[in-house]
Amino acid sequence: MDISIFTRAILAGTALLVAVAPTSAAEPGRLLASQCAQCHGTNGAGPGFEEIAGKDLFNDLIDMKYRPIEGIMDRQARGYTDEQLRLIADYLSTLPGNGGD
Amino acid sequence: MKNTLNRRQFLKLASAMTALAAVPRAVGAATTAPRVVVVGGGFGGATLAKYVRMWGGNVQVTLVDANPNHVSCILSNLVVTGALPMSRITLAFDSLKANHGVTVMQGRAVAIDAAGNTLTVSTSSGNKILPYDHLVLSPGIDFVPAAGNWNPNLTPHAWQAGAQTTLLKNQLAAMRSNDTFVMTVPKAPYRCPPGPYERACVVADYLKRKGRTGAKVVVLDANASITAEPEAFGHAFNVTHAGVIQHVPNATVLSVDSSTRSIVTSAKTVNNAKVLNYIPNQRAGAITAGLPLNSTGFVPVNPLTYGIAGYPNIHVIGDSCAVPSSDGKAVPKSGHMANSEAKICADAIIRSFTGEAPDEDIATSSACFSPITNKTSSWLSTNFIYGDIFDASGNVKGKGMQRIDAGEAEADMIDGDSYQDMFIWADSLFADSYS
Repeated sequence: MDISIFTRAILAGTALLVAVAPTSAAEPGRLLASQCAQCHGTNGAGPGFEEIAGKDLFNDLIDMKYRPIEGIMDRQARGYTDEQLRLIADYLSTLPGNGGD
Repeated sequence: MKNTLNRRQFLKLASAMTALAAVPRAVGAATTAPRVVVVGGGFGGATLAKYVRMWGGNVQVTLVDANPNHVSCILSNLVVTGALPMSRITLAFDSLKANHGVTVMQGRAVAIDAAGNTLTVSTSSGNKILPYDHLVLSPGIDFVPAAGNWNPNLTPHAWQAGAQTTLLKNQLAAMRSNDTFVMTVPKAPYRCPPGPYERACVVADYLKRKGRTGAKVVVLDANASITAEPEAFGHAFNVTHAGVIQHVPNATVLSVDSSTRSIVTSAKTVNNAKVLNYIPNQRAGAITAGLPLNSTGFVPVNPLTYGIAGYPNIHVIGDSCAVPSSDGKAVPKSGHMANSEAKICADAIIRSFTGEAPDEDIATSSACFSPITNKTSSWLSTNFIYGDIFDASGNVKGKGMQRIDAGEAEADMIDGDSYQDMFIWADSLFADSYS
């Protein structure tokens, strides 16, 4: 094994490394929306409380965030910025779900 | 060999060269998928394994756990009272294998070679050496018992579910009128802040329903006051279960004798309790012993990656980690939070494969439902956003997970709807972590 060639290959830089990597960049909102899955199922498709995939829930989330706290979702919605709620809602709206409530 | 990047030789070389520590570990993946090894099949480890496979594409994930399945602490107090069977909280790894292609190895992680990027696992067929590109430790808690003669097989903690849960259930079932159930609340930070208070409630409720007149639940709390859901549990202790539960704050455990079920604390001594449910103070799981620990025995982590200073490809999630947060607003140790952290860690690991920086627009949360009786429950919700964190005087002390305090954090009503919601929540969390 030729260490010097090997070292040069490593030092060739990030561009080369990216080219051989196996995965693609995450879609915006995916990580934030995954925090809904503990109660609404992976990818928002249940099992759990209301199915949240395949719907635009932005207005609902904003409503929950700013109305008086009655239930646990009113509390949860306060845990995100409006911009984060937009990202979450946009991402969830692209998911297929199971057609449940 | 001139034109082929041999993965093993590459990693050996890379780990020998400190300057290259930040080079993405998947550089050798032209020929081999990167390898993620996960220690611990609780909520953190299971979720990490599932989400790395689901989001990461061509990544090999091996989950190491000492047991053939995971027994959930969530809902386990209802197994103690006999309301639920053990099967209800026993979570198999089968779906992680079948649905997500996770490799599961039953064995005990015994040693980390951080320089060589390998984990040694003790299995029934001898030691196995697992090479990794990223190692994620989710080992839960270990106990820090008080002085004396502690034997959890005589006085169960039942703070790791399974055989301990069954032992405590049997001891509770053997209680008669005028007997005393003595339990402790560990000094914070500990696993599941509301858990001990919930246990006191459902045990008291059980004793009342079984007609055990005069039976008492003595709660020896190492903390100055109720550490979680103070309004809900305060009401439960003073009203719902008044006369049965005695809550004793500032009770630092000084010694324990399991053979006589006796306990000495700074506030109260009890000898020959009918049941002694001593839950010791806690620290990070034993496999973290060689890593940097904070003053309370947990591993400080970077909240963007759950990585550890000085160990670029080792991560700690769940109960064992200490997330930087504002003074007095700690990130709780819970199964729900471990699931939440696992997703942040999984995303950061996957980004590292493509040379991307970790996402800073992140949030974590924990929610839980705490039964107060066999028909009612309260709930608790806590949310965190990455950003500035503050010391007790309100000055910025760095970056971390800042607790969002807008609005009440706990349910203002203890009711039957919440009791039903508790099962929806638990089943969803079980499925998101294990299915």
